[in-house]
Amino acid sequence: MKKFLRAVFLVDLIEGLWVTFRNQKPSLIYTEQYPAERPKVAERYRGAPRLNINPDNGETLCIACNLCALACPERLIVVTSERNEETRRKELTTFTYDTSRCMFCGLCEDACPVDALELTQDFELATYTREGQIWDRQMLEEGPRPTQYTH
Amino acid sequence: MEALLATYLKPLVMTAVIILLFPLIAGYITLAERKVLADFQVRLGLMRVGPYGFLQPIADAVKLLLKEDIVPSAADRWIFWLAPVLSTVTALTAFSVLPLGPNLQVADVNIGLLVILSLSSVGILGTILGGWASNSHYSLLGSLRSAAQMVSYEVAMGFAIVSGLMVAGTLSMQGIVKAQFDRQIWFAFSNYGLMFIPFVTYSIAAVAETNRAPFDLPEAESELVAGFHTEYSGFRWALYFLAEYANMFVVSSIAVTLFLGGWLRPFANIEALRHPLDFAFPAGLFGLIGVGCAIGMRRRTVAVDKGIMAVLAMAMLGAAAAFLVPMINAAIIGPFWFLFKVSVILYCFIWYRGTFPRFRYDQLMRVGWKYMIPIGMGALIVNGLVLLKAR
Amino acid sequence: MPDVTFLDANELVLNMGPQHPSTHGVLRVILKLDGEKVLGCECVIGYLHRGVEKIAENRTWMQFAPYVDRMDYVAAVSNGLGYCLAVEKLMSVEAPPRAQAVRVILTELNRITSHLLWLGTHALDIGAITPVFYCFREREEALKIFENYCGARLTTHAFRIGGLQYETYDTFEKEVLAFCDMFPAKVDEYEELLTGNRIWLGRTRGVGILTAEDCKDFGVTGPVLRASGVEWDLRKAQPYSGYEKYDFAIPTGRNGDTFDRYIVRIQEMRQSLRIIRQAVEGLPTGPIMGKVPKVMKPPVGECYVSIEAPKGELGYFVVSDNSTQPYRVRVRPPSFVNLQALDRMCRGSLIADVVAIIGTIDIVLGEVDR
Repeated sequence: MKKFLRAVFLVDLIEGLWVTFRNQKPSLIYTEQYPAERPKVAERYRGAPRLNINPDNGETLCIACNLCALACPERLIVVTSERNEETRRKELTTFTYDTSRCMFCGLCEDACPVDALELTQDFELATYTREGQIWDRQMLEEGPRPTQYTH
Repeated sequence: MEALLATYLKPLVMTAVIILLFPLIAGYITLAERKVLADFQVRLGLMRVGPYGFLQPIADAVKLLLKEDIVPSAADRWIFWLAPVLSTVTALTAFSVLPLGPNLQVADVNIGLLVILSLSSVGILGTILGGWASNSHYSLLGSLRSAAQMVSYEVAMGFAIVSGLMVAGTLSMQGIVKAQFDRQIWFAFSNYGLMFIPFVTYSIAAVAETNRAPFDLPEAESELVAGFHTEYSGFRWALYFLAEYANMFVVSSIAVTLFLGGWLRPFANIEALRHPLDFAFPAGLFGLIGVGCAIGMRRRTVAVDKGIMAVLAMAMLGAAAAFLVPMINAAIIGPFWFLFKVSVILYCFIWYRGTFPRFRYDQLMRVGWKYMIPIGMGALIVNGLVLLKAR
Repeated sequence: MPDVTFLDANELVLNMGPQHPSTHGVLRVILKLDGEKVLGCECVIGYLHRGVEKIAENRTWMQFAPYVDRMDYVAAVSNGLGYCLAVEKLMSVEAPPRAQAVRVILTELNRITSHLLWLGTHALDIGAITPVFYCFREREEALKIFENYCGARLTTHAFRIGGLQYETYDTFEKEVLAFCDMFPAKVDEYEELLTGNRIWLGRTRGVGILTAEDCKDFGVTGPVLRASGVEWDLRKAQPYSGYEKYDFAIPTGRNGDTFDRYIVRIQEMRQSLRIIRQAVEGLPTGPIMGKVPKVMKPPVGECYVSIEAPKGELGYFVVSDNSTQPYRVRVRPPSFVNLQALDRMCRGSLIADVVAIIGTIDIVLGEVDR
């Protein structure tokens, strides 16, 4: 009987209507208005790559060991180095990182023995050209300069 | 001369106003729909074009007008052209008999309701022809569905309307409203509440008749891509869209006129409620919206947005003030109540869309023929008997 | 397979997809119709083929791990777990207890996100446009936990062969428990919106029935199988990663129709919460990485490891020739196998049901095509 009355008075439908109705509260709105409101990105976020430099003397931390290039599944890191005859150490000359092929798996930063290569919290990597996605050493050290979208 | 003015000029002016204004209103109904849906779905909805997306309908209209006009190569060109026009023309023609206020009507013909019913029947043709002329399987299936659906729900709707007519005793739209005034009750609640059954069946059939969710099978997005208007784009598509919203407005208007007292205010016979309902309520409503706009204006940062919000706030506060002037109030209170009730029903339309899954074709038919029509028939007989007894 | 070349005058061939709003990506279904009735259907797949299995042969064991995330991208964590377990078995190492418990927490959270995405899109296919937003709202909370843990939301690459790369972060337990507290009420809300609704019942009851026999014949696994009444869950049948320690039930259905599959998945979300809660509360301390050499060279051999992914049995068959790269990796994707049953489920139903049935199998084309 109860079931019959529920069916006649469309209780199941009204329950559904009530669910959507009560979700109208403005405080429940979940939207994030992206360019205006920046999302809070996790500390461990794997975003744009960065080559760290030693803050004391401004020299790169990278020892040009090539481990990141070997770890990369996409083989998108190219490291070149030359031997400094004075100090008898390998020194980094160029470092290119093709972000267009990168899948941000984090294997390169895991491989880095000196924490020189790091994936940062930057996530705005769009460019106007494909070439713009290939980052050289300067770009990796200074970081990208994303366009600030205000409107 | 005076008579000439009354018979020719006023209807002409009103027709022109409706034709020019309704596309804009329809645009803003879509804006409201998107905003209300966004509310149900815990999101913000349009926020980009203008403050709180207020100019979006205009941007949409411009976009639709400028779009490339694509006619599929295998389509029947003439019918493809004719179908959306047919839909729109019939939908807009139906406006001519809607009693927006005591004197605000293009023509108070004595068969007003019949005019609307017959026009909506012709309007189905636009859907069917459009789907057929597109020469696409999805469109064809959509139009087949719409043919079956509209024909069967027209019957259910007919029974509900006949019940209403029986109580009203007239087909004239103004006459129906006046009858409710004389009878001192909205017809949805008359006959010891028995008339509520036809009101409910009418509401359901109206949703089906306008192809709205959960009965939106002809254009079921997840199944038929876009149903009968899959192949339509740009302005032709906009015409279908316009027709859909016009139809929604018309069926809601019928519901309001026939069951909810038309342009009468609630408890139209109780003089004591006149001031709170006719003056305080609309003034308060518009005043609140105006204040809301003013607060919104202060939150905006862009100067243009601020300006638009300021204009809106002024307009709303102005409207609120206008309702307090007895002379203006007398002229606009009828349309106010009419449109208020219509918008409540339109809100319900959107609400259903935000809540319910879609029926399947055979279930839709079952609901129509096995439940709606028998219930409508039964309600008709019972109401008839009650009326007979009362006489 | 229907014979679509010879048509009756009354028959209509409808090409559904690969560009269609509800074929969940790029599935193409050729339907043979009589009016709205489906006489048969044929799936055309391969539009998202990326040669993942071949890529494996050109990557080191370690390097291939991020690629598996991109097969079933809504359940990336499960994919990663399956691959890691397979390689670990090949190398005869085992992840330490703490790593196993964290793996369980994350895979179960992933099961919830996967089911949420399924629920939202399935309801959308059937015409309810609101649940998808509610589901994504809750999914977002789980994804935030992923992001905080490993730095990615979707293609997580959360696990490494031998254990975990990342130690849990400070508020990990708190956040996971907060999710467990918040989530049941939300599931109730979805159920309120759908389960009792007569339109939903009408659209799902008795639609796309697959009997237990059919399921076994087709090799269908996962919630689809369990909805047909077969109590088969790899987490219970052949426990891995310490699942034997947790107390949970296997929800099953009776009729094997779309509604049962819906209920089974809803129940599974609740059961997953139970597992997560137990795992968090009993989270052991200790190392997170087993003894794995830097350069992996598993001994010559082959092994097959399967896990209970959200969509069914996800199996990895890996072959090693004692080099740094896999000799062969073969994936048994649940979606691909389950999709076979589409024709059986669709016959005799209506077009609208086809959409519901495609949704109810819960396919991800990235996994079907690989």
